Amino acid sequence: MSLGLDQTQLDRYSRHIILDHVGPAGQAALLNSSVLVVGAGGLGSPIVQYLAAAGVGRLGIVDDDRVERSNLQRQVVHGESDIGRLKVESAAEFVAELNPDVTVETHDLRVAPDNAMELIDGYDVVVDATDNFRTRFLLNDACVLTETPLSHGAVYRFEGQVTTFEREEGSPCYRCLFPEAPPEGAVPDCATAGVLGVVPGLIGTIQATEVIKLLIEYGETLDGRLWNVDAAGMDVETVPLRRNPDCPVCGDDPAVTAIEDVKYADRCRAPSE
Amino acid sequence: MEWKLFANLAETAGRKDIALDLDDDATVEDALEALFERHPDLQAEVYENGELAEHIRLLVDGTDPFATADGYETRLDADAELALFPPVSGG
Repeated sequence: MSLGLDQTQLDRYSRHIILDHVGPAGQAALLNSSVLVVGAGGLGSPIVQYLAAAGVGRLGIVDDDRVERSNLQRQVVHGESDIGRLKVESAAEFVAELNPDVTVETHDLRVAPDNAMELIDGYDVVVDATDNFRTRFLLNDACVLTETPLSHGAVYRFEGQVTTFEREEGSPCYRCLFPEAPPEGAVPDCATAGVLGVVPGLIGTIQATEVIKLLIEYGETLDGRLWNVDAAGMDVETVPLRRNPDCPVCGDDPAVTAIEDVKYADRCRAPSE
Repeated sequence: MEWKLFANLAETAGRKDIALDLDDDATVEDALEALFERHPDLQAEVYENGELAEHIRLLVDGTDPFATADGYETRLDADAELALFPPVSGG
């Protein structure tokens, strides 16, 4: 049973192919799948690397930033010679060198209300590897509206949080956890708080693991669980996460039925009922 | 019962886990008051206009008492685990 895998692919993916629960069928599923990674920074780097290595056939990468020297402490898909280049170009070049089976689609843009729906259309899974609340809420709302699975990861200093919103019946969404973003300045970002470079690596590799499990349809994802890790004390806390019936997006009587319903300003406030 | 604090809330308190010895009929409000008594600086980060700020999530054994129980009046088990989370955005 080769499921259309050629000799080179049987060799490249041999450790998947001999692995129970992946096998030729799982590998073929990966090669036939598509994932949109939003953000090619600290979280996005390992996500892009592992999804490309795993042979995810179509990989969309979204980012409008250019590589800066201060990124290189954690954004391991980029190198010294990439400083000043578009992150999507640098990441695409890394993937091309790693795995010719992967078709990369680069999107040199910032996700916005007028492009979000079109951008995620046609992808099996979306990965939130962004660094700002505005994009996080926008991606969440677009994924709920299109019933697209979403992987969530975020980091803060030595800590990270990660979960998966499968969009199955009863799945929670990001707004069930946080109905809206904090006021600007209430929670410091990486630029002001700092981040241990390996922490987005920890969280990003878990996000990649979750995406692969969704694509091969094996295992239990973090749907309904928020996984928190503190790398300083090596403490892991798994907090159950339930759908909020009053959630403005995925609740029983949602106030948000289209992206246009939300003003994605700093607080990403959903309209009140 | 025990509070678990995350991200900047743990930094403000200077610790992640805070065990409380409250009466058997203690509520979420009692647990918050006891927490602020011990770590007064937390109140400004967690409260907004005298109430839990919109962006702060409080969970009792993994569920939000404001969505599924009696909010501040929710009764706590002696071994309840309470969590206070801010959202974090770094990537």
